[in-house]
Amino acid sequence: MAKFSPLGFAVDTQSADEESLYPGAVLLAQVQGNPPNATKPPATNPSEPTLGDLGFPTAQTQGSAQDQARLDRRSHMLKIHQRLGLITTIPLAATLITSSLAASRSSTATGRDVHATLGTITAGMYLTTAYYAIFAPKIAGTPTRGPIRLHKALAFIHGPGMILTPILGAMAFDQKNAGEKVHGIASAHGAVAAVTGIAYGLAILSVSVHF
Amino acid sequence: MNKRILALFLSLIVPPLSHAAEKEWLLEESTLSYHVSHPLHQIDGVSHAARGKGVCDAGQCDFLIAVPVKTFDSGDSNRDLHMLQATRGAQFPLVTVRTKLTETAFASTAIHVDLEIQFAGQTAQYKQVAFQLTGQKDKMRISGIVPATVSDFKIDPPSLLSIAIKNEIPVRVDMTWRPQ
Repeated sequence: MAKFSPLGFAVDTQSADEESLYPGAVLLAQVQGNPPNATKPPATNPSEPTLGDLGFPTAQTQGSAQDQARLDRRSHMLKIHQRLGLITTIPLAATLITSSLAASRSSTATGRDVHATLGTITAGMYLTTAYYAIFAPKIAGTPTRGPIRLHKALAFIHGPGMILTPILGAMAFDQKNAGEKVHGIASAHGAVAAVTGIAYGLAILSVSVHF
Repeated sequence: MNKRILALFLSLIVPPLSHAAEKEWLLEESTLSYHVSHPLHQIDGVSHAARGKGVCDAGQCDFLIAVPVKTFDSGDSNRDLHMLQATRGAQFPLVTVRTKLTETAFASTAIHVDLEIQFAGQTAQYKQVAFQLTGQKDKMRISGIVPATVSDFKIDPPSLLSIAIKNEIPVRVDMTWRPQ
């Protein structure tokens, strides 16, 4: 039977029969933060092992609502990060597809406007996505292991790329609108965008596909 | 005078004898692993940090096993932290298992036991779970699979790319006990 607890979560209360079978559960419930039930009968088998017999350090047995709230906040922010990251692939793909409208010999001012607008949306969504990963609470004493390391390492490529690409794109946009051939550092816009797009795609795959 | 000496003698001898009727088992080593299925991943989280104790009295043994949730390692720290969050592992840091066995069961090679598992702030009962027993020199090895599910403990199933994991999270148990 679910019972309301002051900590705001439902806990199962045990029947008297179960309680007599497992009296140590009372101690465990108290150690783990459940409210003690004053109506529970005393233990019937004093020789039954209890949690205290196992010798766990107190820090490992005592629950912390504060730590749980921190984990909840972290997971919530990373879920948003994951969701926004996936949504961002839509304008990113559209930006890459419309690059032909902006860069080819037959490019038009409208094509460049469309490409620039999509690129701006992509950059804005990307930065919002990154915010949720960067500011998600860190959990002390947890070394980073597994595919998440590659995911984080790739951010050092697509992160600067997502800042550099719009800057170079704006320069190329101005040069093209002035009737000039794209030159100087602006000519790297396409290459930087391609590397950024690939790194971004790999970052998604690194945490979603088992290698 | 003789009665007094006899009474004193009995008071010294009887308590140790009655205490000697109890037998204790200690968990020497263990491997507990949960399995999670997702269309894109098959994950196993392993812990070797369980502690356990069994107390036998009058042919009846009570066992208690506990393992900290955060000691399960799936090879990905991000996933382990998410598992810890989803299972409310910071608030309820231990998984505990309680069971009862008759001492005669130790002579068998296969047993079926009832388990009471406390995890994620919930209690679930598993009836007649099959385990294999291997008696070794001064040791007893127990192995089997607990058919746990996410819903048994009212855990919101974690998802990746909006696809939730399977409800079944079987837990493989391999423990070596030694009498104390």
